Amino acid sequence: MSNQLSLKPSYYEALKRLTLELAGIQLGDEHTFLVETRLSALARKEGFDNLSDMIEELFSRGQTRLAVHVVSSLLERASQFFEDRTGYETLGDKLLPALHPIYKGETLRILSYGCSSGQEVYSTAILADKFAQALPNMTVEITGVDFSSWALERAKIGKFTHFEVQRGLPIRHLIEYFKRDGEDWVVKENLRKAVRFVDHNLLSNPEVLGKFQVVMFRGKLQYYSPTATVSVMRYLSKLVSPGGYVMLGSDETLGKLNYGFDRQKIAPGCYQKPKIELPKETPETSSDATQKHTANLIYEYGEQNATDSDAA
Amino acid sequence: MTDRLKTCLIVDDSKMIRRVASRILRDMSFTPSEAENGRAALNACKTTMPDAILLDWNMPIMDGLSFLKALRKEPGGKDPVVLFCTAERDVIKIAEALDAGADEYVMKPFDSDIIESKFFETGLV
Repeated sequence: MSNQLSLKPSYYEALKRLTLELAGIQLGDEHTFLVETRLSALARKEGFDNLSDMIEELFSRGQTRLAVHVVSSLLERASQFFEDRTGYETLGDKLLPALHPIYKGETLRILSYGCSSGQEVYSTAILADKFAQALPNMTVEITGVDFSSWALERAKIGKFTHFEVQRGLPIRHLIEYFKRDGEDWVVKENLRKAVRFVDHNLLSNPEVLGKFQVVMFRGKLQYYSPTATVSVMRYLSKLVSPGGYVMLGSDETLGKLNYGFDRQKIAPGCYQKPKIELPKETPETSSDATQKHTANLIYEYGEQNATDSDAA
Repeated sequence: MTDRLKTCLIVDDSKMIRRVASRILRDMSFTPSEAENGRAALNACKTTMPDAILLDWNMPIMDGLSFLKALRKEPGGKDPVVLFCTAERDVIKIAEALDAGADEYVMKPFDSDIIESKFFETGLV
């Protein structure tokens, strides 16, 4: 392991296990710098003298709240407005016009699965607003879900820094859909009304979220362990209504495990669920189970650590 | 056939900003040139029209807005992609720049990601 990390190796291993079990994300030895910087900042915010003290507290007392904050700090991804633009072109030029005749007079639901700080959600809302005249009588509702985190809290507020709004967001969209708030920019109310955000662990049963006609899950497969990828994709497939679409990143594929989707030739990374509903799978876990699961993991580590100490 | 490197004129009265912007643009495979005010920039454009212009607002002799209005009246003056690059963040000012013919707008301070993203918006990269 890299010697950049001030944490004891056993704690780093426990953190890797916690992140993998709780969120399906595999931390490697190359992530030591990320762990050190992000968790040191969290330790200061939580009032600890240093990172080791916070991790000691986490694993010795088994604090579920702290565990969630630790994992969510490690999960936060840099996100940009209109990132991987091909996906938005596909959505606007192909998917929305294809779905419009079916959902005319109804609400079309789009999901940003793993929405981080919300740029994908608001970009999609801007796109939907731009297409509203061309596709009349169809309401578009956009939902962003992700593991509970500071990033998700920021997404709910819709506040972005001077630097964030200048990455990927055309200036005309900035002045039309945002207003200045000191050094930051805040999403205007009309756009905020078109979106909602939900705390949801992608490794837990999503049925409470309902069905969506388009699920955007772009550029995220790479972060999940192979086992977690299967779980996340199985849950994702439950969210897509028959005939609905999944959009991966333009350089991503589902491989041989297609999870019941058909690859579409209209754009890279685009898949469609067959129009005939497949038999339902039995629900495995609920989002409430996340909290119990976290507590168990910390408890197990504490037990193991105590046994090791006793043996020493 | 060899592709010609795109040219970008940096118009700013701050030597530091011109130097930083030049470095960023070279990394993006542009050939940068510099002018320290709107008048010098207009003269440069009359000689050779660049592919893009990174333009400050507040400058002595001729400010960015006056330069842009004059540029767009020149033969071939509608061709360059113009990115206003200024500390002005007022929405009314931004709208004024766009009405005068700016293609994009960068608010200072900026970094290489922002410049690259804005050039991408204009379709130049």
